[in-house]
Amino acid sequence: MRWYRINALMLKYYYITINRLDRIFDMLYWPLIGLLIWGFTSYFIMDLTKESQVLNIFLGGAILWTFYQRASQDMGNYILEDFWSRNLYNLLSTPVEPQEIILSAVLFGLIRSVITFGLLALLGAVLYSFNIFGAGIFVVLLFSLALLLLGWVFGIFVTGLIFRYGVKIQVFAWSFAFLIQPFSAVFYPLSSTPLWLQKISLVFPTTHAFEGMRYAFATGKIAWNSLFFAFFLDAILLIVMYYFFLHCFKQARKVGIIAKME
Amino acid sequence: MDAITISNLSKTYQSRSKVNYALKNVSFSVREGEMFGLLGPNGAGKTTIINILSGLLTKDKGIITILSKDPEIEKEAVKNQMNVGAAYSFLTGILTVEQNLRVYGKLYGVKDLDQRISHLLKIFEIEDLRHKKVFILSTGQIIRVILCKGLINNPKVLLLDECTVGLDPDIAQKTRKILKDYQKEQGTTIVFTSHNMTEVEQLCDRIAFLHKGEILMIGTPKELRKRIKTQSVKIDIIGEKRKSLRSIVERFKVKVTESKLNMVIFEIRGEVELPKIINAIIKEGLEIIDINVRKPSLEDVFLKIARGEQL
Ligand SMILES: Nc1ncnc2c1ncn2[C@@H]1O[C@H](COP(=O)(O)OP(=O)(O)OP(=O)(O)O)[C@@H](O)[C@H]1O
Ligand SMILES: [Mg+2]
Repeated sequence: MRWYRINALMLKYYYITINRLDRIFDMLYWPLIGLLIWGFTSYFIMDLTKESQVLNIFLGGAILWTFYQRASQDMGNYILEDFWSRNLYNLLSTPVEPQEIILSAVLFGLIRSVITFGLLALLGAVLYSFNIFGAGIFVVLLFSLALLLLGWVFGIFVTGLIFRYGVKIQVFAWSFAFLIQPFSAVFYPLSSTPLWLQKISLVFPTTHAFEGMRYAFATGKIAWNSLFFAFFLDAILLIVMYYFFLHCFKQARKVGIIAKME
Repeated sequence: MDAITISNLSKTYQSRSKVNYALKNVSFSVREGEMFGLLGPNGAGKTTIINILSGLLTKDKGIITILSKDPEIEKEAVKNQMNVGAAYSFLTGILTVEQNLRVYGKLYGVKDLDQRISHLLKIFEIEDLRHKKVFILSTGQIIRVILCKGLINNPKVLLLDECTVGLDPDIAQKTRKILKDYQKEQGTTIVFTSHNMTEVEQLCDRIAFLHKGEILMIGTPKELRKRIKTQSVKIDIIGEKRKSLRSIVERFKVKVTESKLNMVIFEIRGEVELPKIINAIIKEGLEIIDINVRKPSLEDVFLKIARGEQL
């Protein structure tokens, strides 16, 4: 692994971002739309229920969900740019290693996420007097990181699938990241869902992250067990998906899909 | 010194029911500073060889050394001194020519990158494309950008797979000259595949003929042409036939490939027959106005191999 190659790839992602309007859009515009919709919805429900936690639950949930979702798509989007361009042939003839591709996408994604997060936090405060750090800066950052990690895990998974089965699989692949939303207790506490669903939900790190966030908002305390499970599950998935990706990459070199990539 | 040695290289592709051999025990070596051509009909295995050398594809069996190193073990060292160019590949379309070259230069760890980029754009005469996005370029323009990318790290070994397909004759000629000059100056080892015989003949020091995953012949263009024993002869006569020209020629048991009333084309294997045939025609009272003996071209060799005919 060499830093200068990781830098080179990040430079490419930077060029893609400034040259391609949609990459700026999904960093700024879509998260903003989400914030507006959930902000007004929260205010409306708050009026109806006089329940002050509504804003925290919905807006906090929406911001963090956006965070996770962007992380999962960013990674694929940047790596996919090479598939779309049939550039993989040239890219993989360089000394670049698959680990460097992943790491550069993760680092660049982190920068993007921080920008998006900053924007949402700021606008949330200005528009709805919502303080995302109301649950404590430390807690918010940790749970955000847990969500980011899962986003990257999905990104790695999808990228692996695409290496192995080609670009055709991408439509199917992207929906994975969304599929887990109903099981993640994003906008409602886990205890409000049926028992069978709770059992499934506990498998996903997202559930623990959102539960932990709500707990922190409500009590101002850190739910250590949520934090532990979120990171523990993330770590397991990360390791599994990383090896899955390396396997796909190896397989792709064997069957020649990279060279034939259209 | 050999820049590349390949021995007993085999590669199969698994399809649902059976195993397809793309390469069968291929062995050859490329000398340092040589322009080496891989020739063969579609599906012969040329691209497979290039892709295995560049690390895009894994081999099943065989030993490869590039610049005296095993590319699987000293991957980084080998790849840093190597580069590829293929007409069917592409660069990141949304990036400009310069941005693409910059990213590739950095991936190869090139020093003085600005200078290098300017120099390459200049020798390929595409300085005006510098700030254009790659996806709007024409095929011919992209190929030249890809060649710039191929030379960005001043590689010791350059693998070119059909890199001049899609260039108009004038630009193709120019591009060949640029490559040849560059190679002479820098001593670059180049492996080159192409279907264009004139190109290969002009450029390559040696050629390997591949067919169905096996190497049939290796040699200089001249040596390969000599392998064809037959020559083609065309004889024209004046006026109306009094006796069939074709039937006279056929008495000598040669293979007639084409004939008209006043013209015949046939193949001979030695030089002894020709004077006899000419004598016979004159004896029959026919008046010869032109005799044309055509030496085999590389294309003839290629076509014969591709059709599975004897040389
Ligand atoms: N990814 C692949 N999967 C399965 N078979 C493949 C694959 N790539 C190549 N082949 C097969 O391997 C053989 C050699 O193909 P290759 O592309 O090396 O030929 P080539 O000499 O480059 O041909 P062309 O002149 O058409 O470019 C062919 O029979 C081809 O069908
Ligand atoms: Mg080919």
